[in-house]
Amino acid sequence: MTVMEFTREIYWNVGHGAGTLAPMYALTLVSIAVFAWGFLQRLKVYRLGKPLNRTDNRGARIVGLLKDVLLQSKVLVVRGPGIAHGLFFWGFFLLFIGTCLILLQADFTDLFFDIKFLKGTFYLYFSLILDLAGLVAVVMLAGLFVRRYLVRPEGLETKIDDAIMHGLLFAILLTGFFIEGARMAVTELGTPLASWSPVGLVFAKGMVSLGEESLKSLHVGLWWFHMVLVVGFIMLMPFTKFRHILTTSANYFFADRGPKGNLTTLDLEDEDVETFGVTQVSEMTWKDIFDTDACTQCKRCQDRCPAHTTDKPLSPMKIVNQIGEVAFNNPEDNLVETVSKDALWACTTCLACQEICPASIEHVNKIVDMRRNMVLMEGEFPGEEVMAAVEHVEVNGNPLGLGYASRGDWAEAIGVKTLADDPDVDILYFVGCYASFDKRNIKIATSFVKLCQAAGLKVGILGKEEKCCGEPVRKMGNEYLYQSLAAENIELIKGYNVKQIVTTCPHCFNTLGKDYRDLGFDLPVEHYTVFLEKLLTKGSLKLRKDSFDCTYHDSCYLGRYNDVYEQPRVLLDVAGAKVVEMDKNRSQGFCCGAGGGRILAEENLGERINNKRVAMAAETGANMLVSNCPFCLTMFEDGIKGLGMEESLAAKDVAELLVERLT
Amino acid sequence: MKILVCVKQVPDMESKFRVNDGGKWYDEADLALRMNEYDEYAVEQAVQLKEQVGEADVTILSIGSDRVKETMKKALAMGCDRGVHVVDDTSYAKDPFEIASIIAAFAKDHSFDMIFTGMQSQDRGSAQVGVLVAEILGMSSISTIVEFTFDNGQVTARRELEGGLKAIVKAKAPALMTCQLGLNTPRYPTLPNIMKAKKKELLSVEVATLLQVDAVQETTRMYFPEKKGGGIVLEGDVGNMVNEIINILKDKTGVLT
Repeated sequence: MTVMEFTREIYWNVGHGAGTLAPMYALTLVSIAVFAWGFLQRLKVYRLGKPLNRTDNRGARIVGLLKDVLLQSKVLVVRGPGIAHGLFFWGFFLLFIGTCLILLQADFTDLFFDIKFLKGTFYLYFSLILDLAGLVAVVMLAGLFVRRYLVRPEGLETKIDDAIMHGLLFAILLTGFFIEGARMAVTELGTPLASWSPVGLVFAKGMVSLGEESLKSLHVGLWWFHMVLVVGFIMLMPFTKFRHILTTSANYFFADRGPKGNLTTLDLEDEDVETFGVTQVSEMTWKDIFDTDACTQCKRCQDRCPAHTTDKPLSPMKIVNQIGEVAFNNPEDNLVETVSKDALWACTTCLACQEICPASIEHVNKIVDMRRNMVLMEGEFPGEEVMAAVEHVEVNGNPLGLGYASRGDWAEAIGVKTLADDPDVDILYFVGCYASFDKRNIKIATSFVKLCQAAGLKVGILGKEEKCCGEPVRKMGNEYLYQSLAAENIELIKGYNVKQIVTTCPHCFNTLGKDYRDLGFDLPVEHYTVFLEKLLTKGSLKLRKDSFDCTYHDSCYLGRYNDVYEQPRVLLDVAGAKVVEMDKNRSQGFCCGAGGGRILAEENLGERINNKRVAMAAETGANMLVSNCPFCLTMFEDGIKGLGMEESLAAKDVAELLVERLT
Repeated sequence: MKILVCVKQVPDMESKFRVNDGGKWYDEADLALRMNEYDEYAVEQAVQLKEQVGEADVTILSIGSDRVKETMKKALAMGCDRGVHVVDDTSYAKDPFEIASIIAAFAKDHSFDMIFTGMQSQDRGSAQVGVLVAEILGMSSISTIVEFTFDNGQVTARRELEGGLKAIVKAKAPALMTCQLGLNTPRYPTLPNIMKAKKKELLSVEVATLLQVDAVQETTRMYFPEKKGGGIVLEGDVGNMVNEIINILKDKTGVLT
């Protein structure tokens, strides 16, 4: 082989003089100007929102941004369209890098320093990679086109933006190949270089019969057309869903860095504040508005929303889009009315939407903020039963309306004392309302205590001094009542010398362990599954293996909110369980329907969420549905009765199964 | 328009009740306290009337120890304008006539156009205080109302009678209404109103300055109902159950002899 420097002439056939460069850069400048102007208009709308610091912790934010953009890590979670998008992105991204390299050489290093780097072996790979990147991008785009326009999945909203995007991207990629083909047909056919652009080669062979003159005029025409398309692409970015290239990426940087699912703790002492919660765009933060621009309407949230999939008028995606509509078109409109109260009350705050969102959008806080407005400003609840439950919490410290003084009665029989009687304990068991008062759930409380006693631990409770942690009323929007309950519980617990708190309720766990942090509470809090798993590992808890079949339900507040998926499964495994997983498990688990304060409310719209989850459990063929949360257990007991499945399916808590297997 | 609402703080009925040492009332330990349910309807109706007529001033009155202020604050948060706390640590020992006299003694110089009370209290349940107040003040009263309209000084109320019957009664203001379940749905106080309530006037009056009568009733003893034998639930085949019933009737009663 002759020693030949592999390369190609940049601006071949188009020319590299002022005649080309001047209009080319003029167009580029115009497109950048339109792009900048367009985004500045949107920036003004983001600024309608209140301040929120999302530029702290920059190092970690940049790492997150790079990971989520370059590795497409969130997009890829949903395999089918996720992989198509990922591959398309990588293809297009490589073409973008390639274009930048060409620009760098032609108009900078070569122009000023006579340095050319697009040559030799590097050029061969450069050529091959860009050629294949284009192919992958076209094929993936075609796949996404088929999905959107031919076999559209339910709920995939398709607008003019989608048509513009598909059309423009196809045109850009295809004109690229035709330009390459025309150039290769004239300059590379028959040279060893040609095989390093296999797709271009196909185009070249197809076009070669046109003859050199026609190819050259076609080439220059297409080159400018391609240029105009790219300029159009840049200009359209702020005005179409193309904006997500920028906004979604930026949202990875601005993403909530935890604690997961945290809500703003309102300052209720500030006397200058006259409104609470959100009903106007101006009462949201800028991030809430920015989120609406980061949404690509991929509907992943909607597909996983337990309210939406049981025919309730709630779609997390739609709420985000509606907020965007109001912010950009009618910023004075009432958000609660726009979104609809039924939609807002339907949310179980299960966090499935946020967990799956490939754009790092925060849905739940927006919903709770609007609920706060309804409750704190209008005194409104989803139903009278909820108002009654809230009043029960005010009067008796529990939503069931039972006398507060009998809160600790369940513990007398098993020799558990209150801290008021005997404060010298190993752990404080924060029992929660359901395990204190509800007959079915008292079994969980006694099981847990017996397990601790078997491990040689002394457990204390707060008894009648304990009050509801405030979680259900907080999620229903009653921040005021939540903060008064929290303040009382915190002051009470701080008055005893508590070293470790354990809860059997994931809602108490999340609230004491995370939400109370904002109110100056910092004692270690663990959910009993995590606590017992440690005792097991240490060897202080000994269990007999006694095999059984079951399926396991990840409660939202232990799973998604706290990423505890393995410890309960370890406990079940040690107990001898053969767990048959439901399709929706772990981070994609399906809510029981009781979160977000919905445990207090009647479920009057659509199918019952608990029935749906119980049906999923029954599908596994297991005859036992095991959970780790008193709300879940209550919902499953109801669902099993509702579906008449008492004979074939039993709802159990992990603690019950363990206590049966104490050695 | 001047409106008076009388409210009583009572224990939540789910509380663990114990008879106190004197044996004449319940012990206060371990009780959760709240506004008497029927008084909530009274407060709500007063606030609705204020909203209807626009210019009105709603006074909330409660008799009891310092702790009743908590309940008064809720009424203020629901929309009442000012509070009068009649300080009396032994109000529970007073009979309905004494309580009504205290209220009337306060109300007589204030020319209230409307007075709302609960139909009865959840703890004593005498259902006398409201109507006695009206009688002492010489004003019309309608008891046990479940519907209320006010038009230019004319009250039209629907009141409950025995046996599920209802009556529509009209009266001219000034008048007193005792409020029954079903009249309205008491509102949940909004946070700004809870905040405002903390700054509203809450006047304290010593009970001695208002009480000029003696009791006409005496409580002799308070006790839990005696435990009687539990009921029997028959289950199983209908024929067998019929035979069992016949046997029980034969053995334990004289109806078949």
